[in-house]
Amino acid sequence: MRFQRLIQIPVFILFLVLLGFAAYPLPAWFEVDVFLRLDPLIALGSMAAARAFIPRLAWALIIIVPALILGRFFCGYVCPMGVTIDFSDRIIRRGGKKHGQNAFENVGRFRYLKYLFLAGLAGTALLGISSVFLFSPLSLITRFYALMIHPLALMIVNAFLDVFRPVFPAVGLESLSFVTYKVPYFNTNLFVAVLIVGIFLLALVQPRFWCRNLCPAGAILALFGRKPLFRRRVSEACNGCGRCVRACPMAAIGEDFVTTAHSECIFCLKCRDVCPEHAVSFGITGKRHPPQPEIDLGRRKVVGAGLAGVAAAALTMTNLHHIHGGETPRALRSSRLIRPPGALPEPAFQARCVRCGECMKGCLTNTLQPVWFEAGISGLWTPKITARLAGCEQNCNICGHLCPTGAIRPLDMEEKKHAKVGTARIIKTRCIAWEQDRTCLICDEICPYNAISNQFAAGHRVTVPVIDENRCNGCGYCENKCPVTGEAAVIVEPLGELRLATESYLEKARKRGLVYQARGGVEDHFILDTPREKGKRKPIPLAEEEKREEISLPPGFILDE
Amino acid sequence: MIHYKMSRREFIEKSAQCAAFAAAGAALPGLFCESARAGRRFPDIVVSEGMPGPATRGAVRAIGGMERFVKRGVRVVIKPNISFPNPPDMGSTTHPEVIRELAALCREAGAASVLILDNPLRDSELCLERSGLKTACGNLPETGVRVLDNERFFEKVDVPEGKDLTSTRIMKQVLAADVLIAAPVAKSHSATGVSLAMKGMMGLIHNRWEFHVNMDLNTAIVDLCTVLRPHLTVIDASRILSTGGPGGPGKVIPLNKIIASTDMVAADAMAVELGTWYGKTFRARQVKHIRLAHERGLGHMDIENQVIQEVFV
Repeated sequence: MRFQRLIQIPVFILFLVLLGFAAYPLPAWFEVDVFLRLDPLIALGSMAAARAFIPRLAWALIIIVPALILGRFFCGYVCPMGVTIDFSDRIIRRGGKKHGQNAFENVGRFRYLKYLFLAGLAGTALLGISSVFLFSPLSLITRFYALMIHPLALMIVNAFLDVFRPVFPAVGLESLSFVTYKVPYFNTNLFVAVLIVGIFLLALVQPRFWCRNLCPAGAILALFGRKPLFRRRVSEACNGCGRCVRACPMAAIGEDFVTTAHSECIFCLKCRDVCPEHAVSFGITGKRHPPQPEIDLGRRKVVGAGLAGVAAAALTMTNLHHIHGGETPRALRSSRLIRPPGALPEPAFQARCVRCGECMKGCLTNTLQPVWFEAGISGLWTPKITARLAGCEQNCNICGHLCPTGAIRPLDMEEKKHAKVGTARIIKTRCIAWEQDRTCLICDEICPYNAISNQFAAGHRVTVPVIDENRCNGCGYCENKCPVTGEAAVIVEPLGELRLATESYLEKARKRGLVYQARGGVEDHFILDTPREKGKRKPIPLAEEEKREEISLPPGFILDE
Repeated sequence: MIHYKMSRREFIEKSAQCAAFAAAGAALPGLFCESARAGRRFPDIVVSEGMPGPATRGAVRAIGGMERFVKRGVRVVIKPNISFPNPPDMGSTTHPEVIRELAALCREAGAASVLILDNPLRDSELCLERSGLKTACGNLPETGVRVLDNERFFEKVDVPEGKDLTSTRIMKQVLAADVLIAAPVAKSHSATGVSLAMKGMMGLIHNRWEFHVNMDLNTAIVDLCTVLRPHLTVIDASRILSTGGPGGPGKVIPLNKIIASTDMVAADAMAVELGTWYGKTFRARQVKHIRLAHERGLGHMDIENQVIQEVFV
């Protein structure tokens, strides 16, 4: 196996393993989002859009600084997008034209695009809008594996388990006969697929088309790696057969077979391996060559691209659903847009979120889903709590710990329990207790924060659920478990959500009078026995004739005759 | 009320006798078991006081020993309540010591396999982990701890005596088991008053929600108990969740008691009357599903007419 593959494949497997570990409970021995933090575009783009130094992203320096010495080694050895494209290129280009692909007149045609994308990204960042998620290789590829491949892989594993399930007990693997994996659902997954498959199909034009021509992270590394210390050199033995040119996946070799566009070279070493004369070697001595052929990248084009970025950002900001800053959310904000606990205030959140899908992949209950245009164009694929599908688990806080950019803050468990994401509201006309006098109260049963209680109310034969908004954390378990068909009779809305950039959720919740009894052994009387504190909601008044003795009974008990 | 207290010495003597009888009973099955039943050899309800583990052992011994239910080579299913990812001190889940002791007793009695099964309300694996059950029972030999919520592990069963519930999907492993042991925790419940052995049977089926939507909840619970009738009920009343049930947080009152009975209705009734709920005491007949079960002949809620044995360990 070639040297490149010996490094590339284990690194790629590590990427997949870490993505697999992005699940509850998070391993304590390693930070599983580390690949995302290595991406120079995520680091620079997010910091620029958010106008903040993000310490977690300092990992990208591991890639950027050595680029001065090793050029674009990241693209050839580390980037999981690169491996995936190498693999998909093999499939897509099989049987296709293999020779002449690097004809000199064509190779440079699109190469400048990546610099223009980089300029465009800078333009959007200028207005505080992040478009990193559309162009970052790590974001694209993590999203691909997290939201598309991961559920498909689990389906295959389940099918395999199902086939062998009857056999397991006979061969002493009884415990395996109970194993089945919950296959997660993801909103908009088809569109995630269309974008990434489109990128793969560009292989029909050129191999590694994305890496050569489009990837702005590659552009950053190319800028840093224009004159790397370690580089390709060609000896006198070269007889000009041109095999190296045809083998080069990046079209980095010039017409004379000697000059090398160092900013394009990913050190795959293919040119060295195919050279029949052993004329090609890599080392720290040798002539530095300018990019071959020269890239026509005028100032005018770069400025134009930057301005296009600014214009695109301005367009998204004037979109009806764009969420601007300020304490009060715009009236048009979707009432069903519930952000994960610890999400930064919306503009900062969107500026930092790179839509990599780590939080959604890791989400214990699968409640975190990518949104479509609910939060404006700039909010595409940002995560939201989809309470009808699942609640946000009280004892889980991993989304914040998985977020590479800190768009969701990494909160400890106590802080997370106080990070109110919204407030539940009962739609009485849909509720089978309020509307049909049925003994239901699943919402009360499931509520982890004891925010829903059953009360007797005027005109109702059974106790009905009532929400104490000061206890409601917005986790959405009530909405998830509500047994009515279709839209739940109890729904979570963002009203009262806490979005804090730096402050403590615990303190803020205390100041607001929010009570989250997360621990056991606390006093909690039956609701009718204790008059509510001043200023809090009073029990619903009953008509005189309804004040039977029965109402002094806790729910579920009946009178003793 | 036939109600007698035992000293520790007396208890040990009696248990030895019981063991002897049980051994003899095993040797002469037909004859002896008949006489044992006729002579009320075993109490109807045992209330055992002490630490959860030892009290469980004491309760099972007093009710006739695990050998009375678990013969050599049988498959046992134990149904704890681990519906919530809460630690034991919150009172919303069965104490792991109780389950571990029951599983150990089953194995000592010669069970071929012991399965601890539940279908929790919240995330299954998290419930298993945070209830302490995984640590307590995860590595016991020949014992499986499973939380099952996938449809493929359930099988449709008719409920011939059902009034509201006429069929439901029950865990296949439960249907295949020879012995079913209910091991709920004693706790309050916002819809059914209390959640004990009978309500706990809802954790062995797949679709619980229809109980609330299409049926009368209390009737449906009793319907379910006509097909899921545990051979032994052991209620963990080491502490009760007196308010805020079933999930808590709520007021947790330590009782240090374990209740055992072959009659799930009687065990539930005993737990209701032993405990204080929302600061009040109640008669078992005040809990609708217990009363319905009694009226339909599933068991006895009139604990004043039952032989109750108290043991202290």
